[in-house]
Amino acid sequence: MALLEVTDLNTRFRTDDGIVKAVSGVSFTVESGETLGVVGESGSGKSVTFLTLMGLVDRRHAEVSGSVRFDGQEILGASGKQLQKIRGRRIGMIFQDPMTSLNPVKKIGWQLEEAVLLHNDVTHDEARRRAIEILKEVEIPKADTRIDDYPHQFSGGMRQRVMIAMALINNPEVLIADEPTTALDVTTQAQILRLMTKLQEEHGMAIVMITHDLGVVAELSDDVLVMYGGRVVEQAEVDDLFTKPEMPYTWGLLGSLPRLDITSARLEQIPGQPPSLLHPPSGCAFNPRCAYAFDRCHEELPELRAGAVGEGHRFRCHLSDDERARIWEAKKASLGAAEGSAA
Amino acid sequence: MLYFLIRRFFWAIFLFLVATIITYIIFYVIPSDPAHIACGTHCTPQIVAHVRKSLHLDLPIYQQYWLFLWNMIKHQSLGYSYADGEQVNTIIRQDVPVTASLVFGGAVFWLSISIPIGILSALRPRSILDRFGMVFVLIGISAPAVWIGLILAYVVGFKLGWTPIATYCNLLPTSGVGTCSGPAEWAYHLILPWMTFMFLFAALYVRLIRANVMETMSEDYVRTARAKGASSSRVLFQHVLRNSMLPVVTILGMDIGLALGGAVFTEFVFNLRGLGSQLIQSANRDDLPVVVGIVVFACIAVIIFNFLVDVAYAWLDPRIRLST
Amino acid sequence: MRRKHLLSLLMLCTGVALLIAATTVGVASSATQKASSAKALRGGTLRVNQSAGAFDTLDPGLAYVTNDWEVLYSTQLLLVNFPNKAGAAGSQLFPEAARAFPTISKNGKTVTFNLRSGQRFNDGSPVTAASYQRAWERILSPKMYAQYGIFDQLNKMVVGAQKFTDGKAAHISGISAKGLTLTFHLTKANPTFVSIMGMQWFGAVKPSMKYTKSSGGVLKYPSAGPYYIATNQPGRLVVLKRNKFYHGSRLANPNQIVIQSFPNSNGEASLLQIEKNQVDFDMAGVPAADVKTVAAKYGGPNKGQFHVGTQACIIWEAFNNAKAPTDNVNVRKALNYAIGRTPIIKQLGPYAGAASDQILVKGLPGYKKFSIYGNYPNFAKAKAVGGSALSNAPTLNIYYNQASAVRTTEATFEAAQLSHIGLKTKLEPSDPTDYYGPIETKGTDYNIAHSGWCADYFDPFDFINVNFDGRSIQQTGNVDYFYFNNSSFNSQMDHAASLSGPARSAAYAALDKTLMSKYAPAFPLYVPTFRYLTSKRVKNVIYSNYFGYPILNAMSVG
Repeated sequence: MALLEVTDLNTRFRTDDGIVKAVSGVSFTVESGETLGVVGESGSGKSVTFLTLMGLVDRRHAEVSGSVRFDGQEILGASGKQLQKIRGRRIGMIFQDPMTSLNPVKKIGWQLEEAVLLHNDVTHDEARRRAIEILKEVEIPKADTRIDDYPHQFSGGMRQRVMIAMALINNPEVLIADEPTTALDVTTQAQILRLMTKLQEEHGMAIVMITHDLGVVAELSDDVLVMYGGRVVEQAEVDDLFTKPEMPYTWGLLGSLPRLDITSARLEQIPGQPPSLLHPPSGCAFNPRCAYAFDRCHEELPELRAGAVGEGHRFRCHLSDDERARIWEAKKASLGAAEGSAA
Repeated sequence: MLYFLIRRFFWAIFLFLVATIITYIIFYVIPSDPAHIACGTHCTPQIVAHVRKSLHLDLPIYQQYWLFLWNMIKHQSLGYSYADGEQVNTIIRQDVPVTASLVFGGAVFWLSISIPIGILSALRPRSILDRFGMVFVLIGISAPAVWIGLILAYVVGFKLGWTPIATYCNLLPTSGVGTCSGPAEWAYHLILPWMTFMFLFAALYVRLIRANVMETMSEDYVRTARAKGASSSRVLFQHVLRNSMLPVVTILGMDIGLALGGAVFTEFVFNLRGLGSQLIQSANRDDLPVVVGIVVFACIAVIIFNFLVDVAYAWLDPRIRLST
Repeated sequence: MRRKHLLSLLMLCTGVALLIAATTVGVASSATQKASSAKALRGGTLRVNQSAGAFDTLDPGLAYVTNDWEVLYSTQLLLVNFPNKAGAAGSQLFPEAARAFPTISKNGKTVTFNLRSGQRFNDGSPVTAASYQRAWERILSPKMYAQYGIFDQLNKMVVGAQKFTDGKAAHISGISAKGLTLTFHLTKANPTFVSIMGMQWFGAVKPSMKYTKSSGGVLKYPSAGPYYIATNQPGRLVVLKRNKFYHGSRLANPNQIVIQSFPNSNGEASLLQIEKNQVDFDMAGVPAADVKTVAAKYGGPNKGQFHVGTQACIIWEAFNNAKAPTDNVNVRKALNYAIGRTPIIKQLGPYAGAASDQILVKGLPGYKKFSIYGNYPNFAKAKAVGGSALSNAPTLNIYYNQASAVRTTEATFEAAQLSHIGLKTKLEPSDPTDYYGPIETKGTDYNIAHSGWCADYFDPFDFINVNFDGRSIQQTGNVDYFYFNNSSFNSQMDHAASLSGPARSAAYAALDKTLMSKYAPAFPLYVPTFRYLTSKRVKNVIYSNYFGYPILNAMSVG
């Protein structure tokens, strides 16, 4: 049984302009100890998917349906109390911007201790001891004095370490990391990712790595989920995705990635705008930007279907197997040529 | 901290000089004859000349101003009223408790109303409470203080008879004067003026607090707190409140000046003999020393309040350092 | 008491306007309070408000405004004084500190008062003749600021007074004080001298009471009347307490009288407080805009808590007799026909007063009612009387106090009326802080100015001679701000002033009529009233038309 099993998750926001279909029919699983990479542009629904399953979307404005089973237990639509027991205790979460994700008027010690005390019946001293311990674990120098500092006294990378420490302080089974390195400089990014890998080995938790950086995915993930327009458009094991991507959007993502083993490469913008979630295009959401779109793509939403590798690799595309194979081969060649000329 | 204090001190002196010089210039520019006022309605030219000399009105304006500064520094004296010859220090000392009671009591009133309403309407936007708050705000913003005061005096004081209609009672019990005194009477008589202040300011503060709380609620660190598993109330009280009160504290400091302005009208309606009422009276009588005295006092009050606000702000927000 | 504080604040009007709506809603058919029995009870605290005003001074050597005198009446012990009686009896002087009316020598120049023994100031020290000598000297001293026009009369009245005022003598040689005997040596016989002694200036003060240069005067000083000033915070609070040494016939009903002044207030709160029995009386009376509803609520004037009392005053529009076109008697007469008295009075609300086109008022010897010009505008008559003087007239300046809404309306109304008889007018707003200064200066450019006169003492001299004797015109501080100077009329006035008894009355009645029918130096408008409300608990309200106020020390809240 998977640790986290999401089936047909839908999130709709009611706004003054109409209904925003932020997440549509998303299904995936996360196994204990494994790493799931979730890739997509901003507005692809990747963050909302996880905020939804954590119950962190505003209930007054959101309609949520589907099923989220955590450790065999349905948590979608669970009461606030039940969710509070899971959040921060069994599922930790860290966010994109460490500059704004810590309360500026509270000492970081207080914020860490709060995380402990919310879920454990321990004394303040004990909470503080654990806080110092975890700060050491995330490699913050002089942890026992810095614990009494305020967030603004830390650098961005250090703050993200504090965020990680806060998410891990209760030894969660899942860590959802929502673009944890986006706001950081390249060197710091690498340090944080290394730290996360190290901690995963030590703590044995599953990680969901939400990112738009394929390099990060390539380095850390076991499985990859590619999202576009609120839907999963391709899901595969990491090697399969990189060696044989099956749909044009993923090709576009990979096209901007010169070499698979370079960790810091960023996505280049694929021409065109991400789709409007308020008024999504008919048929395949990617069709306005797709170089290979034909009539059917405008009319019919492609099913998420299995390709040559089997059920482990699914994607949405109307192109036939032959066409996709031909186009990918040609792309690979041009990528190789580009590589050759660069060298 | 020391640098902060020094900077503040010089800023205060600058502010003080500018305010008093402007007051002097205004009185110099508008045509009036304080000597005539000081000697009553029936003066012979000889007496006017004598009065003019004794009040130093025969000196050029800059020398008068210098004399004013000198008296203040050397004798801590703000001079004597042209109109009734009383010491300005005494006049202000008598007026300050009234206005202070009004403004501070009023502030307590308006904050204790606007904080809960502001928070609740931020948590439940577009709810009935939020809409009610909006009506309340519109009344407060559009109705003049005099009107609110009169309506309160008439409805609550007269028709319902729940409170006294007007006048001020000393906070400290005083015997022999024959008027009311003591904390209970003091507060009882100030209920309506305080409510007037509440209407005037609560409106603004409800909106301010509502907006701040809503803004803070959407902050990343609030999401972090919820992701940690904190309950809604804990999120509100431990993470939202203090952060959303920061701008309120700043505005509160700035509103001290505004509140003194509001005091003018409130004192007028409720027959309170405070600084606002004194200011109007003295300005009408061209009583420069009293007007300048009140300006000096108001400057000092504003300076002290801004200082307190800075200190409070620094205490509330560790990102602020008083040295910067 | 020549000047009433009739100026109202702009703010007052705003406040009034705002509350009218609210008040009208609230006027229910209320049970009229039965006028209480006149049995006065001692005790309690009388709570008085003074809305939109404050005492300018309570120093008897300086005070000259009606509400100052209202308070001084309760504290001062006069040689002769007005009794605590209602109606005409209240205007008849009786010997108070003096044993009897003074003995006057054959030639009328020596006036001797014998004081009662055993009269004391509130500090226990005795009242002697020296107490009155000092009162005179404080008034006329060059060391005091008060230099009212009327002092000119006083200086001419008593031997040596002018020398003293000029600083050339240490004392007034014409006043001698020996024990309880006080003797005045007058420059000439003066039938009004005893009446003048009824002014609040001439109350007993301690011979040691100092001269002061302060415009507020001495704040607290021992006095020998029914009360003394126990607290005096200028512009704020005055507390009068009973003088336990006073054993005279005037009443001392409240244990204390607390008067709170609110120079910057609206009068509305005060009115509500009186209705709620939180305050007993407001020296500013009922705001004009509220009179109608208040009168209806309390069953009309003088039936219960709402009172209307006539004042010994005449309100007039003064004419400048020295400046064209009002230097022309035909123009002045035409104005008396054209403006109309009743329309102006109507703006002041019900019971504001009665129209009058004569200078003297009821209660003065020599008052004889007449009507020459009528109370309503009569343009035809005005044009006929004015004739060619109107068509050739230069622009008239109407001087008015801009800060008062009532005065502004009045000036605008007058301008409109005058346009009907072909006169051009210009509205000339005054300096809000000094209305009288300019018009009292010789050569002033006003033609019409609102003003009035209240009795200093009950004698026609105070109305006719004081205001219309052109020989008194000086450079500044003029009482004759009509700049009316007619030698024939001057000698008629001198003659009338020298008479006494019925002859005097007859002479002044004739002067009053001559003045208005022949010269028309002013536009007499109306005899004003004081409209006021007392709280439910106040009993024994005795109105004095001399003061224009109910007598504070007579009010009972016991």
